[in-house]
Amino acid sequence: MEIYLPIAEISVNWIMIVGMGAAVGFLSGVFGVGGGFLLTPLLVFYGIPPGVAVATQACHITASSVSGALTHWRRNGIDFVMGGVLAVGGLVGSILGVQLFRILQQTGQVEFTVTAGYVLLLSSIGGLMLNESVRAIRARRRGDPPQLTRHVQHSWILRLPLKMRFRHSKLYISVIPPLALGTLVGILTAILGVGGGFVLVPAMIYILRMPTGAVVGTSQFQILFVTAVTTILHAITNHTVDLVLAWLLVMGAAFGVQFGVRVGSKLRGEELRALLGILVVAVALRLLFGLVATPDDIYSVVVGVP
Amino acid sequence: MRRIPTLLLLLLTLAAMPAHAAEDLVSGLSTDLIQIRSDFTGTDIVVFGAIETFDPGTPAEDRDIVVVIRGPEVPRVVRRRDRVFGLWVTRRQIPFTGLPGYYFIASTRPLDLVASADTLERFELGPSRLTADTDVPASPEEIAQFHAATVRTLTREQLYWENTNSIEFLSRSLFRARIPVPSTVPSGEYRAEVYLFHGGTVVSAQSTPLFVDKTGFERELYDFSNEAPFSYGLVAVFMSGALGWLGFALFRPRG
Repeated sequence: MEIYLPIAEISVNWIMIVGMGAAVGFLSGVFGVGGGFLLTPLLVFYGIPPGVAVATQACHITASSVSGALTHWRRNGIDFVMGGVLAVGGLVGSILGVQLFRILQQTGQVEFTVTAGYVLLLSSIGGLMLNESVRAIRARRRGDPPQLTRHVQHSWILRLPLKMRFRHSKLYISVIPPLALGTLVGILTAILGVGGGFVLVPAMIYILRMPTGAVVGTSQFQILFVTAVTTILHAITNHTVDLVLAWLLVMGAAFGVQFGVRVGSKLRGEELRALLGILVVAVALRLLFGLVATPDDIYSVVVGVP
Repeated sequence: MRRIPTLLLLLLTLAAMPAHAAEDLVSGLSTDLIQIRSDFTGTDIVVFGAIETFDPGTPAEDRDIVVVIRGPEVPRVVRRRDRVFGLWVTRRQIPFTGLPGYYFIASTRPLDLVASADTLERFELGPSRLTADTDVPASPEEIAQFHAATVRTLTREQLYWENTNSIEFLSRSLFRARIPVPSTVPSGEYRAEVYLFHGGTVVSAQSTPLFVDKTGFERELYDFSNEAPFSYGLVAVFMSGALGWLGFALFRPRG
């Protein structure tokens, strides 16, 4: 049951790793998010070196976003122009992120930055999600009519220059917000080993005001590019992509997702978002505990040269 | 390279020995090559040896055997976290070079009974006596704290071992020691050293090389990732793309 990971240089129980991939794949099937934010901490907790976990995650998310993007493409759910602009930003962010990751590694701040970054990101997004979904559930119970999404642009976005037409999304907006958004997500991918769908999707809906039908497909399309480039950059800069580990995770996830999608389709949207919100906040609290609690040993030893 | 002065010293010590201390040592290993394959979960090796020209006149309590396995040098960074506004943040890091990636020592009696502190220091016997270099300015106290933390951590990770009483005597002159090798060992050249002490001085010593190496697919993948990282990255992406497509094709949503 044990298999040796040639890059991580440890032997792991492969059933355990496939199981983790399946569990996280199940959740991503239910909630429609990548699940990288769960898998990276899980892998580190299992004993995979953080550098290997983050880089291999990028590789694993490439696989799941290929599946996702293909599915949405068949349903005509991808705005390729918007995806392209986001991807350009993402590539810049990924290059910046991999460099930043190396600097953090040299100064010994990777672990803290990654954990603190997760805590901030997950608690704010989980909080927003919970808040919004609880309101929606209450409104439904009271019998309020569903709120109409206003397709009105924020005035500050309308004032920005370099406007461009996104035919598929029926938008005419500046390229600066999607470029900046793409860059931010690229940095997150490189440093935290997440696809960034859980940042990208809400931002596309609430900031860019894209029609919801094209949001998930377009984000998958952008994530596909960014994670592919991040994988290559990590392979070149840090030599930390473990193909055996990636393969095990992908195998597990491919099956998990299918079951997840079936369960997810039976749940209501608001309940789904409330559950995901609880999950995300729980992960954030667990990670925060790790930062606050007194460690068993305040010293840690890692292989390498700073 | 730091091993050369120690070995030289050992030879000089032996040359200076009086000729009548005629007890000598032969030793061997159960294997001289540990291959890391995909099913590698760690292993055991056995060091065995015999005291040749065994002198029954030497009192048994004067005779000590020490078995040491040293792995290849692995550079390490040791970090200390401190509490800053309630959060544990890395505040200090010291890189160490010269420490072996694996270190095992077994002796017939506790080391401080086997020889004087000077002798133990000189042969680097005992994890706490391994010398480490750093290029960061730090006080001796700080270096000592960080060194102790390294030994503590690596002992917890089963890469450093200090075992008294784990040398088993099969007869008066024949002995063996079992050495546990976990799956996390670094690959490279190891040395197995066996020392025979008489009343606190080394009378005989043997050093045998031992190799730990990834083989087959593991070796090729590791080399590939280091020698052609760009192609390796491309292969990783291509594999992910193919698997993603396969997932899509197999579980294609109906309609």
